[in-house]
Amino acid sequence: MTIDGQSVTVPPGTLIVEAAKNVGVEIPVFCYHHKLDPVGACRLCLVDIAPGPPRPQTACTTPVAPNMVIKTQSAMAVQARAEILEFELVNHPLDCPVCDKGGECPLQDFTFRHGYPTSRIDGPRLHFKKPIPLSANIALDRERCVLCYRCTRYYDEIAWEQELTTGQRGVQSFITSQFDQPLTSIFSGNIIDLCPVGALTSRVWRFESRPWDMTQTGSVCSKCAVGCSVTLWQRRGQLVRVTSRENDDIDEGWICDRGRFDYTDVNDPKRLRVPVVKGAGSTWNTAIDALAAGIKGKGPKLGISLPQDLTNEEAFLFRRLLDGPLKGAKVKMHGRTALPEPDPNQLLIKEIDDARVIVVVASDTEKDVPVVNLRIKKAVSKRGAQLIVVHPDGVDLDRNPHTVHVRNAAGSAAAEVEKLASHELLKSPGGPVAILFGDGHGSEDAADLAAACAELASKVGGKVMPLYRATNERGALDAGVAGWDKLDGVQALLSWGPPPTAGIPSSVKFLATWDHLQRPDHSRAAVVLPATTFAEQQGSYTNLEGRVQFLRPPIPVAEPLKESWEVLTELAVALGLELGYTGIFAVQRDAAQTLPGLADLAEPPSPTPVPTPVLIGPAHP
Amino acid sequence: MTVLSEHILEEIRDLPSKFPQPRSAVMPALDLAQEELGHLTPEAMTEVAHELQLDPGYVEGVATFYTLFHLAPTGKHRFYVCTNLSCMLRGADDVVARLKSEIGVHEPGEVSKDGLFSYEEVECLGACEYAPMCRVDHAYHYDLTPDSIARLVAERRNGGSAVAAPKKARAPRKRKADA
Amino acid sequence: MPELRGTVGGPVVTEWFGTQDLYKLDVYKQKGGYAALRKAMVDMKPVDITNEVKTSGLRGRGGAGFATGTKWGFINRDMPGPKYVVVNADESEPGTSKDRYIIENSPHMVLEGIMIAAYAVGANQAWVYIRGEYDEPYRMLTEAIAEARAAGYLGPKPMGIDFPLDIRLYRGHGAYICGEETALLESLEGKRAQPRSRPPFPAVKGAWGRPTLLNNVETLATVPWIVNHGGSEYAKRGTEKSPGTRLMSVSGNVKKPGVYEVELGQTFRHVIMELGGGPPDGRNVKVFWPGGSSAPVLPESMLDTHTDMEALAAARSMGGSGGVIVMDDSHCIIRAAHRLLKFYAHESCGKCTPCRVGGDWAVRTYERILANEGSQVELDILQRVSDALQNGRCLCGLGDSAGWVIDSTIRHFRSEYEDHALRHECNVGAVTALA
Repeated sequence: MTIDGQSVTVPPGTLIVEAAKNVGVEIPVFCYHHKLDPVGACRLCLVDIAPGPPRPQTACTTPVAPNMVIKTQSAMAVQARAEILEFELVNHPLDCPVCDKGGECPLQDFTFRHGYPTSRIDGPRLHFKKPIPLSANIALDRERCVLCYRCTRYYDEIAWEQELTTGQRGVQSFITSQFDQPLTSIFSGNIIDLCPVGALTSRVWRFESRPWDMTQTGSVCSKCAVGCSVTLWQRRGQLVRVTSRENDDIDEGWICDRGRFDYTDVNDPKRLRVPVVKGAGSTWNTAIDALAAGIKGKGPKLGISLPQDLTNEEAFLFRRLLDGPLKGAKVKMHGRTALPEPDPNQLLIKEIDDARVIVVVASDTEKDVPVVNLRIKKAVSKRGAQLIVVHPDGVDLDRNPHTVHVRNAAGSAAAEVEKLASHELLKSPGGPVAILFGDGHGSEDAADLAAACAELASKVGGKVMPLYRATNERGALDAGVAGWDKLDGVQALLSWGPPPTAGIPSSVKFLATWDHLQRPDHSRAAVVLPATTFAEQQGSYTNLEGRVQFLRPPIPVAEPLKESWEVLTELAVALGLELGYTGIFAVQRDAAQTLPGLADLAEPPSPTPVPTPVLIGPAHP
Repeated sequence: MTVLSEHILEEIRDLPSKFPQPRSAVMPALDLAQEELGHLTPEAMTEVAHELQLDPGYVEGVATFYTLFHLAPTGKHRFYVCTNLSCMLRGADDVVARLKSEIGVHEPGEVSKDGLFSYEEVECLGACEYAPMCRVDHAYHYDLTPDSIARLVAERRNGGSAVAAPKKARAPRKRKADA
Repeated sequence: MPELRGTVGGPVVTEWFGTQDLYKLDVYKQKGGYAALRKAMVDMKPVDITNEVKTSGLRGRGGAGFATGTKWGFINRDMPGPKYVVVNADESEPGTSKDRYIIENSPHMVLEGIMIAAYAVGANQAWVYIRGEYDEPYRMLTEAIAEARAAGYLGPKPMGIDFPLDIRLYRGHGAYICGEETALLESLEGKRAQPRSRPPFPAVKGAWGRPTLLNNVETLATVPWIVNHGGSEYAKRGTEKSPGTRLMSVSGNVKKPGVYEVELGQTFRHVIMELGGGPPDGRNVKVFWPGGSSAPVLPESMLDTHTDMEALAAARSMGGSGGVIVMDDSHCIIRAAHRLLKFYAHESCGKCTPCRVGGDWAVRTYERILANEGSQVELDILQRVSDALQNGRCLCGLGDSAGWVIDSTIRHFRSEYEDHALRHECNVGAVTALA
């Protein structure tokens, strides 16, 4: 087939709008989105197709056919698109100067490239009350909305929720949250990325900066073990925005609201930046010496609380301390599950797509592993997988009326899984089976459950995926520091990151903290070290499927803050262990050689180049 | 305490199994709710959604799309007067003007002071050979004139036995019976 | 029932109309009802039924005029799993009342047609999507279905054949767009009735994702006659390409409005002046809509246009839904067009941009003209909006219909538009249409 004279070869079934991307031809779209079912609503992608009727047709709903000749620049197609854009602007408020979308707005750019150069619109425009807070995080401007329905379709198709809906009909139609109540979905923020105009904007970022006034890096989310790809946006040393960054192996361009909106602590004016010893600011040397003195030689009387977003590099350095001067210390990792180490041949997230039957045990995936939850939903609603849930309570996946929900008594999940081998759906599943299991937040015997799931997988032809929750639980397991010890009775405590969930044991006589914020529980700390955040530090996480991914911090570590590898190296020296690392690459190389699970650290990929903004997006054949 | 009575909720719960897919039950369920309450309140729509295991937003989206679902209180007797072309050409505008003055309202949807009446100007009701016409209390009335619409109002105001209560639109129900 | 206004004892569909209590099963049977069903199920193979309909040349009476037999042939009868027949009884096209007329006269004829179609395409379940305002037709169909069930025509073994059949009713709730077949399916599935993009066509993926045959009430009501008398007998009537008869609802400024069964190929002069009785005394026909409000208007000078689809296409209009709206010379074309644009704007589902925005923009432009605030700008906007609504710009035909109203009224009554927009005058009565 040819598009504007260039010949293109694509697989059968490819939509014209996608085929055009392969030859760099821009077909403008509003309603079309490559992760949503095509609807042909906005009519902006009208092109001239031969053979075919003598009228323009939508490129977003028409699959290519052999020898098709597509013209995007024929008089008919050019006029049709210009007329659609004119319609989009009939009621548009044209408040671009104060619109957060301005500068990265497809409506602006398409009008510039495909619209009429003059305006014939002088009549009064339709008005709506604006802006409307859809939630604490999202604002809706109905006057700017072009009703492409990406947001409501995403909600219904991808997230299986309908709290965002369209009210009324015709020109009076508008997007609304149900009965004007705040949105509650943990997946709500994706509608901001989806919106092709300035109708849905982030209230967290509202009026913060113009898009061209920021720099961006492609990093990885630090909020849970899924490890979604994100773009971090920086302006004048502040993290001002987090958006999704499509990675089809993991997130397919979706992130949850924790990843998107939970970042303002990075810019908190109360951030700790200077070490404190006994209530007074100090130098790093003094503080590290004081810390070393407090924890040295304590053996099992020392407790260490690790943050959930500990990097692999930190975990490795920590492992060296535990093997040496801190031997015997009790270690508790924040937020980790009781799940054992994974099967080396475990299920990958992208493999969920191909599963015919998906079994989810002892986890409400929406809360535990949000974006994996979306992947399960995709496999079910777009690919026809069957879904079995084993959980004592109602879970988010029950939104599908065909979900088979086995309600077990808490603690009996392993026994229920054993029974599943003879379940109707699993007798001849017709393809791979995906078995995902959590630990029921402590209610299940994780080792028994893991064994039962592995057994089921071997019986029905499937793979298992343990649903770790802590961001780098998997990396910490690989490094052997994912402790699960009780901290009761310790005399010295190093609280790294947020305080232990169970609180600081009363037995603690020496408390040291290492965090980026001052917390009430930490008020009696003898030593306080300031920590960096995911927006500043280098390092890597291993996600729940074992994929090592690297943080790409947009914000430099400004003095007096120090990078964690340096702090840990200096602490080791103070404790009598000479590590000799001169930079994080040295740490990574050593870790890769020492620990098989961290072998990927040997050659960190070069930082993802900043993508040139291409409004039509990358090609998705 | 629910705004819909238990037997209505029970009927709504029975609806999804009558269709190949449960969402088809939304409109019949809203019918039941509207029949009981006269119009659809957010609470009623939320209860319908709950019984059908949907988010209330879905139900709200459906209810606001269709003109026969009323989201605000209406008169006990609702006049749907066709004002589309075939009726307009035969004097529908005069009929509407008289109706407004008879029931004492200024605009469509407004409820008369006594709560008995409201009216809508509607699109073609498919009885063009009898234009102008209207629908009230689940029945069509034909060959309207300003005087005849005034009579329809008067009969209802005076509570004649034939029009004392609006006739139910749907066929008599049997519990758990087929639709 | 009020007095019938229309054809009784006509050639095809209305053959038995006028018979006392025809709506009752025993009366309908006495007249010969359900013989066609027996013939179809007992004596014919499903493919023969479809072929008979193909031979008849019957074309859909809902508006699009697609060949009915061909449409039936699109359904793969051997495909496993449920298939559906969905009947479009959401009659909402302004000026159209023929489906109501049929159901109120002879609900069993509709049911019989549905059953024959269902058997022919291998569907065990039919759904009648009936507009919510049709209280009486709904009651009549409900009772007729109950009678048919009791008589065994619906049930596990109709006519003794092992082919379970059931018909269920689904009420609409006030949305013209549901007359569009994919919007109707969305509505039947409990959604906001926004048309789907095609392909996939309903024959492949229709109601609840299953193969679905969608036909209009009148189309199906014609089927029993075709099965009884043979397709070639039907094809003898009408013209070669538009065979048979159709029901035309004649309304507006005529002395005898009614639903008339008309052999295709008759002239509109016959339909309007003879059947409809012509305009009121002292008035002349100014303009008429030959096939519902969506069909482009034809001026009085084109009364001799024939009713078959080919003749109407040549006149740059269409047969549409068969609703003939007649307007006499005491009425203003701008006001009429404005009223219809208000209708299309009100009924736009809001899914696609041109229809959602364009209809409303046109209404506001008409309002400026009618408020004597018009100028050449308004005339240009109307023409451009009309162009931008037609020819594939919109997702379904509603936008095109709105465009045709603007386009055809300007085409035939340009000077009246100019009087209003440029000179701020209404010269109704003094204006003659452009031929």
